[in-house]
Amino acid sequence: MKKFLNNPEDFVDEMLEGIYRAHPEVTFADGDMRCFVTANPVPGKVGIVTGGGSGHLPLFLGYVGKNMLDGAGVGGVFQSPSSDQLLSVTKYVDQGAGVLYLYGNYTGDIMNFDMAGELAELDDIETATVVGNDDVASSVVGEEHKRRGVAGIFFLYKVAGAAAAQMKPLAEVKRLTEKAKDRVRTMGVALSPCIVPEVGKPSFQIGDDEMEIGMGIHGEPGITRKALEPVDAVVKEMADRIFAEQSYVDGDEVAVLMNGLGGTPLEELYIAYRRLGQLLDDEGVTIRHVWLGEFATSMEMAGFSISILKLDDELEPLIAAEVDTPFFKHFAG
Amino acid sequence: MQTLDAKTVAGLFPRLAARFEAERDALIELDSKVGDSDLGLTMAKAFRAASEAVGALDAPDLSTQMKTAGAAIAKAAPSTMGTLMATGFLRGSKALDGAAALDVAGLAAFWDAYANGVAMRGKAALGDKTVLDVLDPIARRCEAEAGKGASLEEACAAAAKAAADALEATRDLVAQHGKAAAFQEKSRGLQDAGGTVACILADEFNGFMQALAAG
Repeated sequence: MKKFLNNPEDFVDEMLEGIYRAHPEVTFADGDMRCFVTANPVPGKVGIVTGGGSGHLPLFLGYVGKNMLDGAGVGGVFQSPSSDQLLSVTKYVDQGAGVLYLYGNYTGDIMNFDMAGELAELDDIETATVVGNDDVASSVVGEEHKRRGVAGIFFLYKVAGAAAAQMKPLAEVKRLTEKAKDRVRTMGVALSPCIVPEVGKPSFQIGDDEMEIGMGIHGEPGITRKALEPVDAVVKEMADRIFAEQSYVDGDEVAVLMNGLGGTPLEELYIAYRRLGQLLDDEGVTIRHVWLGEFATSMEMAGFSISILKLDDELEPLIAAEVDTPFFKHFAG
Repeated sequence: MQTLDAKTVAGLFPRLAARFEAERDALIELDSKVGDSDLGLTMAKAFRAASEAVGALDAPDLSTQMKTAGAAIAKAAPSTMGTLMATGFLRGSKALDGAAALDVAGLAAFWDAYANGVAMRGKAALGDKTVLDVLDPIARRCEAEAGKGASLEEACAAAAKAAADALEATRDLVAQHGKAAAFQEKSRGLQDAGGTVACILADEFNGFMQALAAG
């Protein structure tokens, strides 16, 4: 293992110390650095809380900020935060209008968020839940509830955050976020594994000349492993799977997230995006919004993912809304 | 005994704490075969916290005791089994809402809610070789005892026996959940660690009732 570390056990907490030093607009609740919250809660607003394992920056905590999220439970690398930590975040974030839990479809996270919601209820805090499950590769159509949540949650954060910022009630924030959830799909591809600091070894083995289509952001198995092909062919294979589930008609508008997994240069992301743009042109689809860079990573894993959100009149203005967080800023122009 | 007042029921929690402390090493040993060996530690921590939290309450009713225990367990033991036990006590507290004293029907409702809560939170089904495979027989036995008009000590004795039999039967099952699932066939023949926790609970409920009945 070759990483910039001190003691591998301190990986998460030292990362957090750095983030708190750099960004005074975020802080932590109950004296626990892993209970990551905005320093500027908005009275009367529905709180948006996420959480999950570390090792995915800017996911999850990176989106805590103005018009996006209000808090995040921070787990160990690839581990869920505890229900108690999520409860602390919930209590801090609640401004009397209830709290939306918005996180990815992983067993440990579901258990701990559900538990936190049950404990919050004892404190008379209303919670609702939306679980992201955008990863097309992790289960077939009809079994969407088994799909993992990956980079596409970025769009859900944006929709939920913007809806809450408009002071919509919890049920409406949830409805809009659910709608976005149903309309976003992601496909990923990986070229190399990541290394969990405390484990010290690569999470899986893959040949120098191989790629794995559909690999999860923790190195979960994908759909196929095969010889690496030109990126145009790789993007085509990924896009075909997404397009098949979005049944476009001429004039449809989408938002695209071209996301690097941590070890892939921006240059390569733009080459991939070039091809995706051509393919969407062929479908008669307009890319209304695009973000390109690192949004949901797996430490040093090389690879990228494509997320596409099919917009409508209700979702588009929410996606277009301004956002200002430590890791992501979007100024409407 | 047909009923037990809330003040007396509170005496159950120090007993549970002492019992799980005593079982700590045995649970660690059991869990190390297919899990990550932390079960004994987390259960000892969980029930110590529950006992302290309930002990700090001023004349709590039954529902409040169970709710407080559940919340304390969730905080002290953020592992899977800790979360499941916390859920059990929280759901059990709802089943006892408004009950001034514990009777066999209340006990049956408590265990039924407990088992259902664990099944829901853990997304487990009967036969998956989990704690549920012991919790469900406890609940079913208590229901049957309530139907017969049994006393609390009779019901708890029957439930403890049902739990012990159910635990023995987990040896024939193959793990489907958690870290043990990775061992699949290797888990056959082993007594389920989570089920052991449920068996200890039923056994300690029983020991508590027998001690009271004996005066």
